[in-house]
Amino acid sequence: MAKAQPGKDNFTRNIVIAVVVGVLLIMLVPTLLSKQTNTSAKVPASVSADRGYGIVFNDELKGVPLIEIYEDFQCPVCAQFEKLQGDYIESLITAKKATVVYHTLSFLGPESVNAANAAACSADEGKFLGYHRALYANQPAENTGVWSNDVLGILGQAAGITSKSFTSCVNNMDYQGWVSNAAAAGAKANVNSTPTVFINGKEINRQNEYFNADKFKAAVERG
Amino acid sequence: MRKYLPWVGLVARLILGGTLIVAGYLKFDELDKSQMAVRAYELLPIPLANFMGIFLPFFELAIGILLVLGASTRIAAFLSGLLMFAFMIGISQAWARGLSIDCGCFGGGGQVAPGEADYVTPLLRDTGLTLLAIYLTLFPHTKIGLDKKPKSAPEQGEGNNG
Repeated sequence: MAKAQPGKDNFTRNIVIAVVVGVLLIMLVPTLLSKQTNTSAKVPASVSADRGYGIVFNDELKGVPLIEIYEDFQCPVCAQFEKLQGDYIESLITAKKATVVYHTLSFLGPESVNAANAAACSADEGKFLGYHRALYANQPAENTGVWSNDVLGILGQAAGITSKSFTSCVNNMDYQGWVSNAAAAGAKANVNSTPTVFINGKEINRQNEYFNADKFKAAVERG
Repeated sequence: MRKYLPWVGLVARLILGGTLIVAGYLKFDELDKSQMAVRAYELLPIPLANFMGIFLPFFELAIGILLVLGASTRIAAFLSGLLMFAFMIGISQAWARGLSIDCGCFGGGGQVAPGEADYVTPLLRDTGLTLLAIYLTLFPHTKIGLDKKPKSAPEQGEGNNG
């Protein structure tokens, strides 16, 4: 009895330890694998894997500043940045004065993934910039359930997207694999908050260059 | 006094284990943020920081559950002590180098606006938790746990005998 009792206790204990450690290991391994870049994932129009799976404008230009913007469509500070600098950045794109890469991260939650996927669908329609603007103009509070794929599909109309292919792309999450690749690329690029802006590979000054129109413009022109 | 030590141990186990479970659980479904939080400490090479961002929530959950159940208390307490110590080094160096980051202790993390970083609260909390971990490593025999009682003290489960 005295001998059997501790043995029995230890048996239970060891089973419990094995189950706890085992279950968490079994969950950890696929999670680690899912964060690897999936090179076979479908990629939207104007995306370059070499540029961290970002959506690229004016890729062909030489000798112009390279502006890389890491953002999450649910991030309120990104909406402020868009409001202040969005027009200027779009004018650089239309005037072919800069190469601009939009990296749509999705760390704020499932609705960020939905929005990034929908943005990729809009790139296929050639309406990324308009949809980008529409998303920020209609940004709800984080993960409140507002940005369902139905709503994101309807929001396309605000950017003049009316095609059926867009709606089905949004609803089927066609670019979910790409969204995850873009997130992994952001992690590799050591982006630790949004928005993060690199100009020619160097982050602009977080103290004063993000939210001052003149200083941001100066930073772009400095290159 | 010795009579009450196992009860003190139980309380220590529940506080330390409970904190780890909460911390792990809150990071669990926002792993991108967790990776961001580890990278923001600027302590580890990026690929290792990204790995740790995923690994840590799982690790915290595992040792937290083992502590609450009182299974392999000594090892789990020792590992959580090491973890807390590592956290304190990370937070202290971030503070000393003037980084503006959120500790990301319970989810969240990453850079914050300059002047908004709070390093004192997490350091104090981690100091307390480290003390609990040290206590449990020294006296791992506690009330209501799965670990078997040492033969030397079958009644009260007195510790400090390995």
